[in-house]
Amino acid sequence: MADYDLLPKLLPFLDRHLIFPLLEHSAGRIPEDADDTALRPITKAKYELLKSTNMTDFVGNLQAELEGLDEPPAEFDEKRQKVIQRLEQFEESTSKLIDLLGREDVVGNLRSDKVANLEFLKNDHDVTIEMVNALYDFGNFQYSCGNYGAAADLLYQFRVLSTDNDKVAAATWGKLASEILTTNWEASVEELNKVKESIDTKLFSNPLAQLQQRTWLIHWGLFPLFNDDKARDQLLELFFSPAYINTVQTSSPWILRYLTAAVITGRNRTRNSGQHQKQLKDIIRIVKQEAYEYTDPITDFIRALYVDFDFEEAQRQLSLAEEVCRSDFFLLAAADTFVDCARHLISESYCKIHARIDIKDLSARLGLGQDDGEKWIVNLIRDTRVDAKIDYKEGTVVMNHPPSSVYQQVIERTKGGFFRTQVLTAAVAR
Amino acid sequence: MSRFFRSGDDSSSESSSDEEELYSEEEEAEKAVVESEEEDSEDEDEDEDGSGEDSSDEEGAKKTGASRFLRGESSESEDSDEDQPKTVKSAKDKRFAELESTIDAIEKKQKINDWGAVSNEFDKLIRQAVKMTERGQVPKFYIKAIVELEDAMNETISKQKVTPKKMNAISARGLNAVKQKIKKLKQDHQTEVDRYREDPLDFLASDEEEEEVAAPKPKKTKAEAYTERVEQQDDDGFETVIKGGRTLQFTPDSIFKHLRTILESRGKKNTDRLEQIRIMEKLHAVANTPYQTIRVLLTLVSARFDLGSGTSNAMPLEQWKAAEKELSTLFEVLEQNPDHIVLENAEEWDDDDKPPTLQPGEKHIKVPGSIVSYVERLDDELTRSLQTIDPHTSEYIERLTDEGALYNVIFRGLLYYETLGKELQIPQDSLNRIVMRRLEHVYFKPAQVVKILEENAWKPVPATVESVITPRGSITDATQLLNVLCNYLFINSEGIIRARAMLCQIYFLALHDEYYKARDMMLMSHLQETINSFDVQTQILYNRTLVQVGLCAFRKGLVYDAQNTLQEICGSGRQKELLAQGVMIQRFAQVSPEQERLEKQRQLPFHMHINLELLECVYLTCSMLLEIPLLAQTGSSPDIKKRVISKTYRRMLEYHERQIFTGPPENTRDHVMQASRALAAGEWKKAINFVHSIKIWELMPNTEEIKTMLSKQIQEEGLRTYLFTYAPFYDTLAVSTLSSMFELDDRKVASIVSKMISHEELAAALDQVTSTVIFRKGVELSRLQSLALTLSDKAAALIETNERTLEQRTQGTANAFDRRGGQNQRGGRGGGQKTGRGGARTGGTGQRQAGGTQFTGGVLGGAVRG
Repeated sequence: MADYDLLPKLLPFLDRHLIFPLLEHSAGRIPEDADDTALRPITKAKYELLKSTNMTDFVGNLQAELEGLDEPPAEFDEKRQKVIQRLEQFEESTSKLIDLLGREDVVGNLRSDKVANLEFLKNDHDVTIEMVNALYDFGNFQYSCGNYGAAADLLYQFRVLSTDNDKVAAATWGKLASEILTTNWEASVEELNKVKESIDTKLFSNPLAQLQQRTWLIHWGLFPLFNDDKARDQLLELFFSPAYINTVQTSSPWILRYLTAAVITGRNRTRNSGQHQKQLKDIIRIVKQEAYEYTDPITDFIRALYVDFDFEEAQRQLSLAEEVCRSDFFLLAAADTFVDCARHLISESYCKIHARIDIKDLSARLGLGQDDGEKWIVNLIRDTRVDAKIDYKEGTVVMNHPPSSVYQQVIERTKGGFFRTQVLTAAVAR
Repeated sequence: MSRFFRSGDDSSSESSSDEEELYSEEEEAEKAVVESEEEDSEDEDEDEDGSGEDSSDEEGAKKTGASRFLRGESSESEDSDEDQPKTVKSAKDKRFAELESTIDAIEKKQKINDWGAVSNEFDKLIRQAVKMTERGQVPKFYIKAIVELEDAMNETISKQKVTPKKMNAISARGLNAVKQKIKKLKQDHQTEVDRYREDPLDFLASDEEEEEVAAPKPKKTKAEAYTERVEQQDDDGFETVIKGGRTLQFTPDSIFKHLRTILESRGKKNTDRLEQIRIMEKLHAVANTPYQTIRVLLTLVSARFDLGSGTSNAMPLEQWKAAEKELSTLFEVLEQNPDHIVLENAEEWDDDDKPPTLQPGEKHIKVPGSIVSYVERLDDELTRSLQTIDPHTSEYIERLTDEGALYNVIFRGLLYYETLGKELQIPQDSLNRIVMRRLEHVYFKPAQVVKILEENAWKPVPATVESVITPRGSITDATQLLNVLCNYLFINSEGIIRARAMLCQIYFLALHDEYYKARDMMLMSHLQETINSFDVQTQILYNRTLVQVGLCAFRKGLVYDAQNTLQEICGSGRQKELLAQGVMIQRFAQVSPEQERLEKQRQLPFHMHINLELLECVYLTCSMLLEIPLLAQTGSSPDIKKRVISKTYRRMLEYHERQIFTGPPENTRDHVMQASRALAAGEWKKAINFVHSIKIWELMPNTEEIKTMLSKQIQEEGLRTYLFTYAPFYDTLAVSTLSSMFELDDRKVASIVSKMISHEELAAALDQVTSTVIFRKGVELSRLQSLALTLSDKAAALIETNERTLEQRTQGTANAFDRRGGQNQRGGRGGGQKTGRGGARTGGTGQRQAGGTQFTGGVLGGAVRG
């Protein structure tokens, strides 16, 4: 399974603080009874990761663990003091502004125009630009200390006031990270959209930076994608938009694993099955296209099932894919759903092609026992309204494929025509 | 020095004066000998003229001293002017002059295609000539004129045949008249004409000799003939002394004076470039300071290049070699004397007497000159000479070995610019140009060859010199070298050079089987959208690259991609032209000579060619693999017949099928066509045999692998074709039968059948229990039904087109329909921008004739642009 571990590939595109849960996860995967030598590299990695942050206590403990000491070395105490000192310093420098922003009458006077706001604060309350910038620095510092909630608040306030585009963009990223780390998914999706907009508009003339930042955004977006059900549709749509799917293809094909998994597991969730079909088609096309650059059991599964129509291979890949899912930080929770949905996909496409199927064989294909298999098939027939009957004596399922009626086809093809024509006429008339 | 020359004056035809020039010096040498002999054999009355002139010429020569060789047109004509009052022109001379002017007139008229006038002049010429021939003497240039006229006439006639445009009546009549007359004349002067045809130069040379024989004769008229002769001899004698003495004049001090005079005469008519070169070679020998050597070498090399300055002919071999050697020497001198540098924008040093010295505070003595232009010129000349040499001779191979030397020169030039760049600001452009040249000598070669080139290039370089771009020893394999060079150009250059660098890299990658990398780069470059605005050379490179990518896809077994990529070039039927590997005969459009010349210049030397037969073979094979199943599929229903993958292939197939009797295959095309027929009939083994017996596969590396790949593809496509063709006749079909029939394993067969069922290509279903294919009945559509389907398709297409048109007209701003159908009708939210971009992209690809966007990953490159 180590071959399919994506951690090294993901790391360059994540923030230190975001990497930490991933490391924690891989540490958790090491069996309890394993000796320290297995755990040590990960602890070391954690230590290196967080060394430059201000989470002194934690880092000190890590160091102690590494060195085998009982308590953190003295230098960390010193550092801790410094951090606290600076914290106080920051608090002092921003207290006035925060205070102001807490007051009803001040906030009530703020408008949507940032410049005017600043002017107003300056004239009425002696707020300087330095004070606003102090908010940013303080937010940054809080983040570095691990106080993500506080950081998010500070950065939000900063963003309201600041006119410095670069810093606002940075603050948005910071807020996104903070929201992710406080597992505030709804807000994080909101931030994600803000970042996306700023990438689209601000970096319009710099395609390389756009590509880079989009890659980051996609990686960061994985957190809400697999943790928040509500955000999923929206995020998937974002990921499948041309700009982002291109980014995946160009700079980070490994994301295809997550996309594939998300699409497969999204099978019975989406209200809109047309959308799901389309996404499935897209992902098949892209997986096929990128096969030379990236494959893992999950993409191989899709490929075997939909490109090669090799059901045996699909079955083999499915069992591999299950393992991969169980060891992946993001997919862990979705592993069962994934297997379930994948089985559905296999049987769907199997039934579509076959006219008569041996139940035993199909159960084997799905990785189930015969009784389970039969139950599964009955459920399937019920759920998906496949026109099929089980012949008990023979132990087979007989499918009935009605040939698609020509009338139906014509209706299908002309369905959207009227609406589109209307739109067209409206557009011409305008 | 000949008479025609003088009387012809400026207006005399270019070609003859050139030839004249060549001979004038030999003549001089001969003259001394000939004339002394001549004295006894004089017997005619005409006299003196030539000799008088000769002596006056010599006098002129003496006067001008060292610049004797630089004597331009002016001094020449002056001479003759002086002569005219002195000497009474003999009747013969007059006739010669008349003849000359008539020939001139003919030439002029002929240039503007006024054959009526030509015919008149020609009559005149014949009349004049007849008078002379009566005296038993046929002027050689008369023969020459006839031959030339005949050539011109033939050309015009042949052109006339291919152009639909009619000549006007007078011209046409004139042309015919000339044709008749020439025919008659040629019979009269058959021997001379033949001799001229055989070797024009030789003929004219003998002409000179004979003229010399004739020339002294006129001398007789004057009384002082004898004394003249003596003087003449004296003159000649004196002159040789001067010649001998002149070598003494080549002292280091006078070098600059010589150079100046040479430079001044540059570009003027009648300058004897060879002689100048000889002088400079001597100057080079005596030059003793680095400054002098550099100056002499610079002038010398450019003088050598001047020799080949004609547009069509290449520089002579020995001159090229000498220039190459001198450039190397120049680099050595420059390396040994780091305080002397050659720069494009350095100031001219006007003082001939004292060379520039190092001024305090200045580190370098700057010499004006452009190394990069010399290197480029050297490169161009080699290409030009390779273009003219027949590639199937050993001469070509010999000439090709010079490429190694050339590469060394380019490399040294690059090193030189790099060392300069360390201390001085040099234009990035020169550096880019020279890197580009280096790249262009590398990109189409296999890795091993490049390695050898590189190793040889480093050998003569002293250990102290280091390259920044490609450090010594760090570049071990060709891929890396290419990478480094290209990346350098990506960073430092823009526009055409960058595009070319990109194409070179893609070409190289494709050549070395890195298909995906090459394809991705090709798509990312977005060149398919802009290539039309580049110059022709770059377009040719683009075409070459495209073809190479296609071939690479084929080697990888990606038939579909290969076909798609090659379609644009091979489907056009103008491969030769598009790849600059030969000029196509234009059937309908008249090509002006100017255009033809340009086209010839663009031709690639043979060693860079992509084998066209192989290309065709690959293209046809790919088309076969895609088209035959398609034909089988559409065979039954006439409505979808419209879909054609390769028109060229279809045409050939139709032609082949129309043949009443088909013999055994002879060429590649026959093989593929017969294989196609076999495949269509389900006889896949026969098809494999036909395809395998194509000889040209041997040219591919890993022939066996490719053949195996092809067998596999043919087996699969054979199965598909079989199913398409014979499905209507079966109710059920066992998978095992199919697998034994096509020698594929059951699983593969099942997978292929499943795929066809799933894509709704085949109305069937698999029975897993008995493992058979059950074909559904009653799926054939009635006429009305299929028409209804077609109608609905067309209606959909109409809406699509309308939408696109509106979008283009309004640049996607007016409305925001989501073209992805009615599934997500989110209204105008953001959709406008998206479709707008999509529209722009499809618009761009529409114009481009190349197939870049047909890659399956067509959107891939969009990521960078967003």
